[in-house]
Amino acid sequence: MDAVATAFGLILDPYVLMVMGLAAVFGIFVGSIPGLTATMATALLVPVTFFMEPVPALAAIVTTTAMAIFAGDIPGALLRIPGTPASAAYTDESFAMTKKGQAELNLGTNLVFSALGGLVGTIVLITAAPALAELALNFSSFEYFWLACLGLTCAVFIAAEEPLKAIISLLIGLFVATIGIDPAAGFPRFTFGIVDLMGGVSFIPAMIGMFAVSEVLRGVVNLQGIGRPTQERIGNIFRGIGPVCARYWKNFVRGSVIGTLVGALPGAGADIAAWISYAVSKRFSKQPEKFGTGHIEGVVDATSANNSSLGSAWIPALVFGIPGDSITAIVIGVLYMKGMNPGPTVFLQNPQFIYAVFISFILANLLMVPLGWLAIKSSKQILNVPRNLLLPIILMFCIVGSFAITNSAYGIVIMLVAGVLGYLMEENGFPVAPAILGLVLGEMLEQNFMTSMIKSEGSFIAFFQRPIAGVLGVVTLAIWGLMIWRGLRRTQPVPQ
Amino acid sequence: MMKRRTFLASAAAASAVAGLGLRPAGAQAQWPTRPITMICPWGAGGGTDATARIVASLLEKELGQPVNVVNRTGGSGVVGHSAIATAAPDGYTIGMITVETNMMHWQGLTDLTYASYTPLALMNADPPGVQVRADSPYKTVKDLAEAIRANPGKFKASGTGQGGIWHLALAGWLQAMGLKPDAVAWVPSNGAAPAMQDLAAGGVDIVTCSVPEAKAMLDAGKARSLAVMAPQRNPAFPDIPTLKEAMGIDWTVAAWRGIAGPKGLPQLVVEKTIPLLKKIYDSKEFKEFMTNRGFGMVWAPGEEFARFMAEDDAKMGKVMKAVGIAKS
Amino acid sequence: MRFNDAVIGVVLMLVAAAIVLYAQTFPAFPGQDYGPSLFPTVIGCALFIASAILVVRGIVTRRGAGWAYFAPWTREPHHVVSFALVLLALVLYILVSDDAGFLLSSFVILLTLFVWLGVRWPLALVVAVATTLVIDWFFGGLMRVPLPRGILNLIS
Repeated sequence: MDAVATAFGLILDPYVLMVMGLAAVFGIFVGSIPGLTATMATALLVPVTFFMEPVPALAAIVTTTAMAIFAGDIPGALLRIPGTPASAAYTDESFAMTKKGQAELNLGTNLVFSALGGLVGTIVLITAAPALAELALNFSSFEYFWLACLGLTCAVFIAAEEPLKAIISLLIGLFVATIGIDPAAGFPRFTFGIVDLMGGVSFIPAMIGMFAVSEVLRGVVNLQGIGRPTQERIGNIFRGIGPVCARYWKNFVRGSVIGTLVGALPGAGADIAAWISYAVSKRFSKQPEKFGTGHIEGVVDATSANNSSLGSAWIPALVFGIPGDSITAIVIGVLYMKGMNPGPTVFLQNPQFIYAVFISFILANLLMVPLGWLAIKSSKQILNVPRNLLLPIILMFCIVGSFAITNSAYGIVIMLVAGVLGYLMEENGFPVAPAILGLVLGEMLEQNFMTSMIKSEGSFIAFFQRPIAGVLGVVTLAIWGLMIWRGLRRTQPVPQ
Repeated sequence: MMKRRTFLASAAAASAVAGLGLRPAGAQAQWPTRPITMICPWGAGGGTDATARIVASLLEKELGQPVNVVNRTGGSGVVGHSAIATAAPDGYTIGMITVETNMMHWQGLTDLTYASYTPLALMNADPPGVQVRADSPYKTVKDLAEAIRANPGKFKASGTGQGGIWHLALAGWLQAMGLKPDAVAWVPSNGAAPAMQDLAAGGVDIVTCSVPEAKAMLDAGKARSLAVMAPQRNPAFPDIPTLKEAMGIDWTVAAWRGIAGPKGLPQLVVEKTIPLLKKIYDSKEFKEFMTNRGFGMVWAPGEEFARFMAEDDAKMGKVMKAVGIAKS
Repeated sequence: MRFNDAVIGVVLMLVAAAIVLYAQTFPAFPGQDYGPSLFPTVIGCALFIASAILVVRGIVTRRGAGWAYFAPWTREPHHVVSFALVLLALVLYILVSDDAGFLLSSFVILLTLFVWLGVRWPLALVVAVATTLVIDWFFGGLMRVPLPRGILNLIS
């Protein structure tokens, strides 16, 4: 208990609180600008934290990332541009709500459930870290292969009205993911000797292209047509949250649980958590037909999930020094630099620092509500900017954001190609979200499949031999079987 | 009168051209006059990135100009290494090159070799260890070696991708024991951390990553390190014997990192940078950082660094040919 | 630019076939049945089959409609130029930003697009300068993104 008291003392220091305040503002800006991710913000904080004590250093990272993941929802809802990859799963849904004049309800929901989801992840981190870490440690390539398969299944759930086109979109994404050096043998595929292509197609510029550039292209030829597509102003964002809580509290619980579990797994983070929970929400909804038309239900699940995964990603990082996502990969480096070597002993050697991390997580999520409210209030001005002024500015932010991912013009090339492709796809009724999902999961799927095959010496039985892998495998195959059966039954009586 | 004016005008134009166009040559006398870019071929947060950032921040203080670390990642390091080698050799782009310099060209991924760079200083080298699961029956590296000899092909090891540095470390060790490089199957992984996780999850039997990379799992009691493939023990891990001590085998290798520029860096830049890097290497900040992360410190300036790379390149080529991944 | 599903299907079938054929040239993985060609081949085959279904569906549901349909805006030259200008701006930035630098490229692109889309000159100038400077400060200064310096290299 002494350590807890010490930890409170460490956090409630004016200097630390000031650092957290600055980090929160920084995180909101980074999160709401496409191309600037929570991971990048963390990497940028490293040289700054170098000259800080451990507690403010870690509190700065915790606060920045929590704010960034929430803030990614704001441009998603207002402009259909996900600010961070974690918001991509429900960007279309949020934008549809804004077009229906429900931007307030959407942003209010995003804010409140991001904060609540974040708190759930933190509570799990505090109470169950060692046990969950043991569980996560049992995941080897076999389990990850099935997890990636389950993730791909989401693509079809998300865009069910045109399953064939969703599948084609997914396959395009999966193909693009094979460009570059292959994950098993190290052979360059589809690179034609171009050095940049050897690095593969990074998905953030592709995402910016497919969502934002295609939106700009549609916008410039339709300046008058839509004019101000949305409502005039954003009023009280907290109005209507009460009924949403009452109606969808189960979605919140489910989203947070999924987010926490996915976050605790090394190699799967906030973005995958959001995709899976959104798909699960649609699958089990009483009104799945409303999804995609501006329906709040899936947003509750997904926005809770991506923030709850942030806290639980620290579980394997703290207990075993294994990153739960790309953010904690950087955090581990900071821990080493501060002499807090990750491992079970970190809880014994420096308990006050670990408790300080927990407290800063709680504080950051509480701080999110007033600061997020301010951010939403000020960002509403975007809706009042004339579109002929707004669209070129968005384009320039996209250019710089894509450049920032690869630190070369190659990122802009990816964005341009993806933008044209995304525009053509949407014009012809192909949803772009499955392509993004394929690009995200493609390498994970292939890497784990090849690794598993090498380990099992080419035997497929091995994919079912380990207990967790067996369960995941049977569940995946059962879902696929059910989908095919339903698909056949549905199409047969209605000849097109 | 007219003539004189034209003359003056063209003189002014000429000096303007000299001032703009020929500036790089003239500016060398007072390098650096603008920010310097330090390219890091690996991602933010990793060991190479952290090392590059500390060197850059210390170099910035010495030079009085910003030194910006720029991550150019992907393609097993090809993208970033190419960016360093093909940059303009004006002293404003340098980079941190790593052991992959001596591996990519054997694999046929690039034409660039260590000779495509102007070596400035080698600053770090980390030898691999031999890690097994904590409940593994093999208590010494000798036991493990005997078991491998008795059951070729039964064991599985991991640590990097196929043909990565830790794969070559394993292959070289097996060769030194007189075994075939594929006596232990290599399971490619996305780096040392996932490999250590797979070791704990029971997916592989051996991980040959560096001991600092395995430290968290060693501390957690999930894994055990049996030996290091180095000439000396690591002062941070004094209980782990070298291969030579444990089984009399003379195989040493290391993942190294050094600062270099594109080939043909101006002599002035080289002469000015190397003493500064030495000063950084000896500084308290750098030492503290390297000790905290458990990174091995090695110093080899300019020509010495070049000789080191040449020897390392030959060693890598030999192992890669034996493993069957070298193209030439 | 809306096409009948059959047209898209045929194009995708050609792409899929090219992927599968090219993937067969990849070397095998030493000592393994599955090599780098496995995933591209499987994905290519799946894409081929899905596209073939799309072709059939497109032909069945065509009912005399055209093979391609161009939205009304494509007949208005001003809109066509707007569309092309966005793409051109991106291509131009990719090609010249390294030599010209971020500040100049961004300013020129923003100003051109503003003016073409009907923003009045004084406002366009002010916003182009302000946006460029804000981006340079936030990305280049605060976030340390190495935006190309271009012409700045000549000055200092």
